[in-house]
Amino acid sequence: MGIAEAASSGGVLEYMPKEIYPGIVINMQTLYMSWLTMAIVAIIVFAATRNIKEIPSGIQNLVEMFVEWLNGLMDNNMGVAGRRIAAPFVITLFLYLFVGNEIGMLPQIGVHLSSPTNDVNVPLALALMVSVTVYIYGVAQKGLIYFKHLIEPFAIMLPLNILEEVAKPVTMALRLFGNILAGEILLEVLYKLVPFLVPNVWIGFSLVIGFLQAFIFTMLTVIAIAPAFRSEQK
Amino acid sequence: MVSLNFTLIAQVVNFIILLVILAKFAYKPLLKALDDRRAKIIDDMDSAEQTRLDAEALKKEYTKQLANAKKEASEIIDKANKSAQTMHETMLQEVQKDKENIMAAAKEQIEQERTQALQDVRGEVIALSTQIAGKLMRQQLDSAENRAAIEKLTDEALTQKQA
Repeated sequence: MGIAEAASSGGVLEYMPKEIYPGIVINMQTLYMSWLTMAIVAIIVFAATRNIKEIPSGIQNLVEMFVEWLNGLMDNNMGVAGRRIAAPFVITLFLYLFVGNEIGMLPQIGVHLSSPTNDVNVPLALALMVSVTVYIYGVAQKGLIYFKHLIEPFAIMLPLNILEEVAKPVTMALRLFGNILAGEILLEVLYKLVPFLVPNVWIGFSLVIGFLQAFIFTMLTVIAIAPAFRSEQK
Repeated sequence: MVSLNFTLIAQVVNFIILLVILAKFAYKPLLKALDDRRAKIIDDMDSAEQTRLDAEALKKEYTKQLANAKKEASEIIDKANKSAQTMHETMLQEVQKDKENIMAAAKEQIEQERTQALQDVRGEVIALSTQIAGKLMRQQLDSAENRAAIEKLTDEALTQKQA
């Protein structure tokens, strides 16, 4: 099934899985959309940083606005030293999620555009990366003693702490996945029920949700990373 | 419909690629520019504050100097007034003294001249009287003639004296 057929058949959930090697299945639609999202993010960021001026204008101003905002969040949560280390990861995460969430809301003319985040694989991949990144930062900052937080305040809490470490990425991933998927399904349903006006209102609402979910995911990431740097401030 | 598969791995790889590319080529200059700008703004504000403090200190000093100058000027004027007053009084006293000296000298001279004149007149009168007496003694004494002669002699003597 081609991309155009997928759009016309209303296949919001058409991930187009393909077995590229025996036993290795990849959702091609998700992969393409992920690449598109990456390309858009890269183009925006490179356009903004190609010719950095002291007095920003145009797209540099826009990107700087987001970056300053995220820098402020990170400064407040993990301090300036932590921000310097974590900034590229957090900024990339936010821009990828923001662009990815909004892509599914773009007009579907000829090609089937969907958010890469409407495939549970993507949010889960990102959430797991966040978890791993937290441990990488933690060990880099404090050494192996960082793992000690798993048996705090008491050793008996170890199972609960491990459960929490697992629950965190899963909840983050499912929250994002559910919001974006629901937005796209509802948009498709609304197009079928009321072809005019109402879907446009929903698109407006969904764009806000897309930003909000990107922000929530990023904020939770910042909060998750923060303890890795916190004792540095003592 | 919702199934985990290798898309997850692909997505991790995708994201790492994006992160590495952006971090290497885009964020470094951008974050540096932001930090530099922040530092520059802080620096500029500090230096502006410093300049303001300097200006204030300078103003204070100038005000002080101005007040000092005013004070000095009024002191100088006071001194000048006082010295002029003193000079004025001294000169007045001197003039008074001079005047008195001159008056005293003049008085003395007048007295002297008057004494001299009296002396002169006395000598003259004595000489005249002696002359008249001599002439009278030498001439006949006729009352009317005498009288006329005496008058004539006196007139002659006076004329002589005047001449």
